[in-house]
Amino acid sequence: MRKKEQYLLGVKTALPVILGILPVAVAFAVLSEHSGLTTLETILMSTLVFAGASQIMAVGMLLAGAGILPIVLATFILNFRHVIMGTCVMNRMLDTPMWKRAILCFGVTDESFAIFTTNEETNNTPYYFAGVISVTYSTWVLGTIAGCAASQFLPILVSRSLGIALFAMFIGLVIPNVRKNIELGVLVILTAFLNVIFNYFVPSSWAIIFATLVGAFLGIFFVKEAEEEEIQ
Amino acid sequence: MKIFFLIIAMALVTYFGRVLPVLFLGQKTNRPSVEKFLRLIPYSAMTALVFPGVLSVDKDFMAIGVVGAVTALALSWFNMSITFVVIGAIVVNMLMYAM
Repeated sequence: MRKKEQYLLGVKTALPVILGILPVAVAFAVLSEHSGLTTLETILMSTLVFAGASQIMAVGMLLAGAGILPIVLATFILNFRHVIMGTCVMNRMLDTPMWKRAILCFGVTDESFAIFTTNEETNNTPYYFAGVISVTYSTWVLGTIAGCAASQFLPILVSRSLGIALFAMFIGLVIPNVRKNIELGVLVILTAFLNVIFNYFVPSSWAIIFATLVGAFLGIFFVKEAEEEEIQ
Repeated sequence: MKIFFLIIAMALVTYFGRVLPVLFLGQKTNRPSVEKFLRLIPYSAMTALVFPGVLSVDKDFMAIGVVGAVTALALSWFNMSITFVVIGAIVVNMLMYAM
C-alpha cells in the first residue's frame, strides 16, 4: 500500500471513534468553563496537552482550589500509562526515523492506542497511525471549541449522559476480540479483578498501570493466540 | 498567567511520558514472550480503564455506569459497530436521566 492509502485507511478506521471522543471533549469544555478558565485557556489546554482524563481532573482540582504543583504531579502520574501504550505503538514502527516518531508520539492516547493496536499488524505503519491521530486530535480540539460554544445552551440531560461514551468505546473495541478468543475473556476478568484489588492500596491511576502490566504478564501463560497456533 | 504556566507544565509532563518509548526503545525484541506481552497489553489496559471506573461515571447514581456498560457490552457482543455501541449507551443513559 502507498503512503497516502495507508494514511487514508487510518483516517477511515478512526472515524467511528469520533463518537467516543467528541462527548468527552464537550464535557471537558463545559467543566473547564465552569471552573473559571477562559475559552482561550480551555482550547489551549486541549491543543497542547491532548489527554482528556488529566484535563478533566486538572480543571476539577482547580475548582477545588488546588495549586499548580499538585495538579502537574497528578497529571504526570495519570498520564504515565502513555509510557506503556507508547511502547506498544512504537514497537510496531521501529524502522521509522526517530524524529518522525518523536512527532507521532504526541498522538498516543487511550483512543489512538486502542485503534492502532487492535488492528491487523500489517496495517501498523507510521502513515496509518498518522491518519488515526489526525482524526482523534482534530476531534479533540474541535470538540473542545464546540463545547465552549455550547456550554451555555447544552441541556444538562445531554451533557450528563455523555460521560459513558469513552467507556462504551473501549468495551466496543475489546468485546469482539473476546468473542473470538475465550482466554482473552479470562484475561479481561482477571485484569478487572486485579484493578479492583489494587485500588484498595494505591490511587486509581497507579492501579490502572499495575493492573495493565500484571494482567498482560499473567496472560502470557494462558492466552493462546491464533498466529501462535498456526506456527506450532 | 497562572493558568498559562499550568497548561505548559501539563503539556510538558504529558509529552515526556509519550516520548520516553521513542527515546529508549531500540530494536525489536526477538523474544516471543515479550512480543506476546506487548500484544496483550491493549486488552488489559482497556479493561483497567473501564472497570471499576465505569461504576463512578455518576457518583450519585451508580446504575448509570452499570446499565450504560451492560448496554455497550450487549451491543458489541452482537458485533455492532463502535458508533452504535457508543450511541446506544448514551441514549440509554439519557432515558435513565429523563425518567
